[in-house]
Amino acid sequence: MAGQAGGTPSTYSPSPTTRKTKSLILRNDDVDWVRTDGREFHQCRPAFFKTGAVNAAAGSAYAEFGNTKVIVSVFGPRESKKAMMYSDIGRLNCNVSYTTFATSVRGQGSDHKEFSSMLHKALEGAIILESFPKTTVDVFALVLESGGSDLPVVISCASLALADAGIMMYDLVASVSVSCLGKNLVIDPVLEEESYQDGSLMLTCMPSRYEVTQLTITGEWSTPKINEGMQICLDACAKLATIMRECLKGPDSALEE
Amino acid sequence: MVALSIGEKYFIQGGIAQDLRGDGRKRLTPRPIYVETGVISQSNGSARVRMGATEVIASVKAELGRPSALHPDKGKVSIYVDCSPTAAPTFEGRGGEELSTELSVALQRCLLGGKSGSGAGIDLSSLAIVEGKICWDLYIEGLVVSSDGNLLDALGAAIKAALSNTGIPRVNVAAGASGDEQPEVDVSDEEFLQFDTSKVPVIVTLTKVGRHYIVDATSEEESQMSSAVSISVNRRGNICGLTKRGGAGLDSSVILDMISVAQSISEQLINTLDSQIAAAEAGEDES
Amino acid sequence: MGLPDSSGGFLSELDVDAFRRLFPLQFYESHLVKSKRPDGRSLAKARETSSALGAVASADGSALVKIGSTTMLAAIKMEVMTPSKESPDEGCIAIEFYMPPICSPIVRPGRPADTAPVVSKQLSDTILSSGMINLKELSLISGKAAWMAYLDIYCLDADGALFDAALLSAVAAFSHLQIPVVSMNDEGKVVVVSEENEGGKEPVNKEKRKLTLCSIPFSLTCILYKNYILADPTAEEESIMETLVTVVLDSSGQLVSLYKPGGPVLAYTSAIQDCVALTRQRVRELQTILDEATAGMEVD
Repeated sequence: MAGQAGGTPSTYSPSPTTRKTKSLILRNDDVDWVRTDGREFHQCRPAFFKTGAVNAAAGSAYAEFGNTKVIVSVFGPRESKKAMMYSDIGRLNCNVSYTTFATSVRGQGSDHKEFSSMLHKALEGAIILESFPKTTVDVFALVLESGGSDLPVVISCASLALADAGIMMYDLVASVSVSCLGKNLVIDPVLEEESYQDGSLMLTCMPSRYEVTQLTITGEWSTPKINEGMQICLDACAKLATIMRECLKGPDSALEE
Repeated sequence: MVALSIGEKYFIQGGIAQDLRGDGRKRLTPRPIYVETGVISQSNGSARVRMGATEVIASVKAELGRPSALHPDKGKVSIYVDCSPTAAPTFEGRGGEELSTELSVALQRCLLGGKSGSGAGIDLSSLAIVEGKICWDLYIEGLVVSSDGNLLDALGAAIKAALSNTGIPRVNVAAGASGDEQPEVDVSDEEFLQFDTSKVPVIVTLTKVGRHYIVDATSEEESQMSSAVSISVNRRGNICGLTKRGGAGLDSSVILDMISVAQSISEQLINTLDSQIAAAEAGEDES
Repeated sequence: MGLPDSSGGFLSELDVDAFRRLFPLQFYESHLVKSKRPDGRSLAKARETSSALGAVASADGSALVKIGSTTMLAAIKMEVMTPSKESPDEGCIAIEFYMPPICSPIVRPGRPADTAPVVSKQLSDTILSSGMINLKELSLISGKAAWMAYLDIYCLDADGALFDAALLSAVAAFSHLQIPVVSMNDEGKVVVVSEENEGGKEPVNKEKRKLTLCSIPFSLTCILYKNYILADPTAEEESIMETLVTVVLDSSGQLVSLYKPGGPVLAYTSAIQDCVALTRQRVRELQTILDEATAGMEVD
């Protein structure tokens, strides 16, 4: 829909394509480097949650972790699609999309096809599907701005939106990821750290039951390192869940340093 | 979807609880694995893997391409899985799409390592030809021909076998090209370099049925699972990727337990697979 | 309870919410005769409107606008293009309006809303024809490089008067737009001048960081129902009473565009004139809201 007649001309972003080399951001195995935003290795970004962001939805939540901003709306339980067969338990339908301006280069957020199914798997185990037979609950997420650790933020925000919609759940679902950079594990990585990571571990759990609903690992990990990574994530999830719980309880949103 | 009567379900669950499964296996005994290499002559490498009634084919195609700006000294690998409608009626039309994406993503996670490229089973630096200019692009494709459970492990094994079977043509770079020009290359059609697959991990999926978990589940057993964890382990015993499937939650200690079980099973699996691949390669050379 | 003997008796027994859902028209009519709307507004009153600039850090210009609970997020990303031969010293604006599935229960993934492309087209037409932006200001090097401004508007919450909110967010995003300072590198490509390598190339657009916006368009959507005119309708009102009139006026009060896409009510000239008069009042309100938002930005 260009303002001029004829087809849209090809355009490019004027941002410099040469990126900082890895050593500039982190001096590899040096233990003392500082993270770009000044956080400690095991310190999460300040988390901000707010329920009821979208009035048109049955339940919704907005989450902001640094530059990562997402909105999740929940619709239903409502009639399943006509083509669906009878089911004595409810269905969960998830979709994650990005705005065109979420990434630094326009329209790059589309390569996250698997996020929808990963969100589905992370939530499925926490929802009491038996409580809404024959119907569907739709969970739609929109990443307004991508600033790293997008999927964990979407998952935590979605569970809050489900709670806001009054969908029965065993527990809230909190999700945190760690990146492995050299010898160090950094929690809640930002986009820059994610693009240089040697490996990553994302853990989703129901904190009050200490149950892991989703775990993905990439990169090469030794067993003690996995132990360490999982423990860091579990601790952070428990903290995150208290913030989420606060947000549900009080009218004012919770904020944590 | 497998339709089972209550009795059949009880039989499967009870058998697993008593460490004697329907086909006579123990909980941690995999099905015998058969490997055949060089099944697709047009590709650079290919393999067919059978585990019981599960049958998959993997093929590797190498093409010259341009390295990405972020990693100028590395080649590129893409992994794509297709579920053939011949394998199961549910794969017809768009039915297999979701499973295809899930398997593709899981394989990428297990084989390609972190974003920086470290921990990758496939050594991407060995695919570089001229830094920043030319590299090999590997297109790995998996095809599910027949499905009887444990597709991910079978695909992982097939890709490892296909990579062992892959010969990448030697490339001679014409000297003298400088600056922005794309250097001229001469692809040899006689000399091939063998691909190093010693670092390629194998994938072990542990399926949890009731309170126990089993390896190499058939689709009937998979229909009774509460959750499954796919763990890829390399020869050094390190974890190269992990994906959890299925909805039900797991205690973290159970996951750590599963990881250590997967490590011990992977050792046998790597050895069996290596000897099978060697035998298949030898068989192919003779014929 | 027994059967009610007259419809009046039956209706009086109904709960208010049930009445509202079962007989929406009657429910509204009972309010309209009292010149009130169910949300407490008078007929000609628009909902509370707010605008915040710079909501998206990754964009060159952005704005978040709320009219009642209708929420719009607009962001502009500037990219470089080669201008066409016919107009070598003009840039380009591409406007797209999205209704993601989060915004309304009627939108589902893979099945986009019917209204999204309609609003998209109306927005492009209005903004480009209003002359708010001089496309010549988007030129960088005549015949070689010009700006392509991608304006993407996302509806985050759909509760009626989508076009009004979208237009306001578009205008606000343009008034927040900061054009990056760029220079031409050796390969003939335009790159952003960062503070670190200031000494390198001479920037080509040092003075042109802001666009001059003249005659800014503002709009008001009204519902025509019988003899009533309801300004700034909610989604519920839009679904019950289907005749809509959207008037776009610019800041000096000139008519930019007028839409009346059919509907069962045929409008008399006088009704249209009333709509224009309401819009004229609304333009002043919106102008103040926009000015306050920009002033707040400058203080920061």
